[in-house]
Amino acid sequence: MFKKIFHYVRFFFSAMDQAHRAKVTSMTEFEQKELENLFMLLLMGSFMGVPSPPSFVSAELLPHLEHELKVLNARAKDSFDTLAEMVGTFDID
Amino acid sequence: MKTIFFTGKGGVGKSTLASAAAWQLMEKGNRVLAVSFDPAHNLGDIFHLKLGHRKKRFKDTNLFLQETNLEKSAAEYIKANMSILQEVYSYLTTINFDSYFEILKYSPGVEEYAALTSMEKILENEQENFDYIVFDTPPTGLTLRILALPRLTISWIDRLIKIRKDILEKRYTIHKLKGNYDEKGTRLAYTEDEDMVIQKLYAMKAKYCAVQDLIRGPDNQVVVVFNPDYLSLRESQRLLEGITELELPIDTIFHNKVDDEKSEIVEGVEKELLKGYPRIRVERVPLINHTEPTCYIMDTDITASFEGGTHSAE
Repeated sequence: MFKKIFHYVRFFFSAMDQAHRAKVTSMTEFEQKELENLFMLLLMGSFMGVPSPPSFVSAELLPHLEHELKVLNARAKDSFDTLAEMVGTFDID
Repeated sequence: MKTIFFTGKGGVGKSTLASAAAWQLMEKGNRVLAVSFDPAHNLGDIFHLKLGHRKKRFKDTNLFLQETNLEKSAAEYIKANMSILQEVYSYLTTINFDSYFEILKYSPGVEEYAALTSMEKILENEQENFDYIVFDTPPTGLTLRILALPRLTISWIDRLIKIRKDILEKRYTIHKLKGNYDEKGTRLAYTEDEDMVIQKLYAMKAKYCAVQDLIRGPDNQVVVVFNPDYLSLRESQRLLEGITELELPIDTIFHNKVDDEKSEIVEGVEKELLKGYPRIRVERVPLINHTEPTCYIMDTDITASFEGGTHSAE
């Protein structure tokens, strides 16, 4: 019985800790994703008609940018709802 | 090893003077390699040899000749880039992967990059084997673009490195607070040592800085060839402006096809061209008979300026 209570208390505090950490990092994560998106936009600029680095720079880096490509894709998909995302990030009710 | 780039408008005599310089330097006891980067090659015609992508010795002398095939260089360049992609996406080799990257051949700038890569390869492989490497370059526009590429690429790479560092900094903060993995379970690189992207950027930067140092260094010399006519004058002015902007070493320009009967035009063109470049020396080369089969042999010694040090145009 005592063991079970101890387990729940531990779980409660661990969840609290996680929630707290998530809240603290959410802004940094948002910034990180924006920077990753920007990095990809710069590399892939020629697809959108903006100046881009020499094509070989993009070609050489591309194989290592799987994660950034997913971020770029997700940002493009959510671009119509940027306001909602901002509201979420800044925790506005 | 010293390098000399012969530049100028099409038809002014770059190839003839580059060949003459290469021949004279060889005659003075140097080991010389003459390389043509002009898509419309003339080097082989001048020396009456069929030249190709590999260097060829000229008549048991210490002069070697080579005509760089820009299309082949572009193909090699694309192949090298594709192999990196294939290495990473090896599971895609079962489908017709190659054909999708064929399009890279037509992307702007590939020809210039291929030329630069091939130039870099020659400099790297041949610097021990020769005392002089003489480059016969394509007409003005393409040459300036090739010579500007290292600087342009470095500035792009610097910008990308800065953003990448910011990304890694953010990732490091998140990693410290939340652990190794993101919400989808992917482990992202958060230090410079483990981030392949920044490592690649640093490697590219080092490569292009080395090329830039070499073409700006005291062992390199850019030579402008021009003729006593208005069009050549205007294009040479633009070329000199470009060379100055790129901070490339230049101290001699060659006034080719000088006809003594037109001394007024000759002097007028020189005066106009040297405005703003008081330290540049002009060497006059008289009009020679191009039907002569050995036009690389000429009376005028044009190598004097290649044996001393160099300085920038201003």
